[in-house]
Amino acid sequence: MKRISLILSIILLSVATTTFAQATGKLKTTKTHIKFFSTTPAENIEANNYASVSVLNTETGEGVFSVPMQSFEFEKALMQKHFNSDKFLDTKAFPKAKLKGKITNISEIDFSKDGVYTAKVSGDLTIKGKTNPINETGTVTVKGNTVTVTSKFNIALADYGITFVKGKPSSNIAKTVEVTVHSEYQQE
Amino acid sequence: MKRKKLISAGIIVVVVAGIIITGAIGFYMFNMPHRNVQSAKTDYQLTATALVAEYLENAGAANEKYLASDGDSKIMEVTGTVNKISENYAGKKVIILKGENDKAGVSCTFNGEVNVPSLGTTVTAKGEINAGASYDTDMELYQDVVLNNCTLVN
Repeated sequence: MKRISLILSIILLSVATTTFAQATGKLKTTKTHIKFFSTTPAENIEANNYASVSVLNTETGEGVFSVPMQSFEFEKALMQKHFNSDKFLDTKAFPKAKLKGKITNISEIDFSKDGVYTAKVSGDLTIKGKTNPINETGTVTVKGNTVTVTSKFNIALADYGITFVKGKPSSNIAKTVEVTVHSEYQQE
Repeated sequence: MKRKKLISAGIIVVVVAGIIITGAIGFYMFNMPHRNVQSAKTDYQLTATALVAEYLENAGAANEKYLASDGDSKIMEVTGTVNKISENYAGKKVIILKGENDKAGVSCTFNGEVNVPSLGTTVTAKGEINAGASYDTDMELYQDVVLNNCTLVN
């Protein structure tokens, strides 16, 4: 009798925990890569950030990226200083950018089945304290327990209050910058 | 006549020197190397617990104290317990130092090779601070302090 109740409680407990895990469906990762790429006839400029934190809810499709702006690394130190300065991204006053989106076709993505899925993402991007809507597509790749999300889109710097009218930056930095987002999550 | 020649020669020398100096400064500025975090002087020595607590108490004041407007923010030596070891997308080691009862830790991204310490040991990492700890209401979780270009200090 005791043994039966023990077995029963183990079954109940395991059912409860799996249900709970499914109900939350929240994946968290720090394995991320965000790239800014600007191209002009004068030069190409690239900055890479590997320190963002991201959460993806596989149930609701809601995803968030929190981006520490001072973690963007440039090949040239001077460009990095310009990027951080109050004339550009003002990273001392706005240390983090945020991408808050939702995969609107989440029902079409089967996280339990290996495959490459197209994700429609709509949400808000906040840089330098200014928020603009984004509507982009991305790719969700499921392989075993690993879920990879990638997306590439363009942002107009002027939308985020980043403007330069004279000098070298105005000729060497594109008005529209390509943003690539990459993140890898582990499913339980 | 002689004096006139001397003056014009002088002017030419000054102008040429000016052009060379300006060019050299411009060239140096453009190719200025990134600062060497390891050889730079440490600005603050503290525990992971103290740094996280300072940020959760008043993030604005902590940012004012630690972040620089050109991105070359304060150089920290943070001591704490190794809570998690991972690798980032660029293949660099990331070690999280976190106090047992703390809500957030300090994430240190290492440059190059590092003798990875064991989980649970106490180590000191030197690096530049990029961002502080905070509670993110969208993620519903605490975010760690971010240190970059780290090395272990013996």
